[in-house]
Amino acid sequence: MWATAVVQGGRSAWKGPFFVAFPNLKHALENNIAIKTQARACTILPNFIGIRFLVHNGKDYIPVTVTQDMVGHKLGEFAITRKRFTYKQTKNK
Amino acid sequence: MHILGVLLPENQLVKHALTHFYGIGNKTALRLCARVQIHDRARVRNLNQSQVTALTAFLSSPANSPPVAAHALAGPDYVPPPLSQPAPQAEVAQPVDRLRDIKIESDLRRQMRENIAHQRMIGSYVGRRHAMHLPVRGQNTQSNARTARKLNRVERYN
Repeated sequence: MWATAVVQGGRSAWKGPFFVAFPNLKHALENNIAIKTQARACTILPNFIGIRFLVHNGKDYIPVTVTQDMVGHKLGEFAITRKRFTYKQTKNK
Repeated sequence: MHILGVLLPENQLVKHALTHFYGIGNKTALRLCARVQIHDRARVRNLNQSQVTALTAFLSSPANSPPVAAHALAGPDYVPPPLSQPAPQAEVAQPVDRLRDIKIESDLRRQMRENIAHQRMIGSYVGRRHAMHLPVRGQNTQSNARTARKLNRVERYN
């Protein structure tokens, strides 16, 4: 019943969404350069659409292309941090 | 008694019986009773025809239900007009009516499926975990995770 609380994700309204101001946003959009970032907690804003990001997952930088539907989510949601376990026959290979 | 295909047990209080609807809990049921003017202690078997009609009409389309009349509150210095004159009608802003925004049964299930499908389509972590039938919010998976294995699907049924 309390839709606004869900939309804001528990964050107070006067703060607005948390985001990181990338200085090279326009340059990246025009030249199709990927922005390398570790700001996984950054909310995807409407002006990020079409930009390619390289989001850190703790080890590597995972390519993420922002689309219209991703607005409102966080960058980190699209760069998974866990590797699925796969059994290897020998340990020292 | 059946309302919109949901069986409401005859001997239960209406406020408890209404929680048989998927999407209506105790809080919403109480507000719903207040809205269609059913007493707190009324039981399902004591409902009359007009009350059942009112409940059915509201639950079939909550968004299209008639808005509640907004009445101005009297201030401490309010002096009522004499009985011979009609009371002046004050302009009151329509309050936010959250009860009209509720979704129940198949509407709510469809909304949930759409939300999961949205997560899956954009490829977020939540969507991936749903597709793998694993817990979504960081719960342990070494043991248990039974509920997630049962429920977490892209095409979720409840």
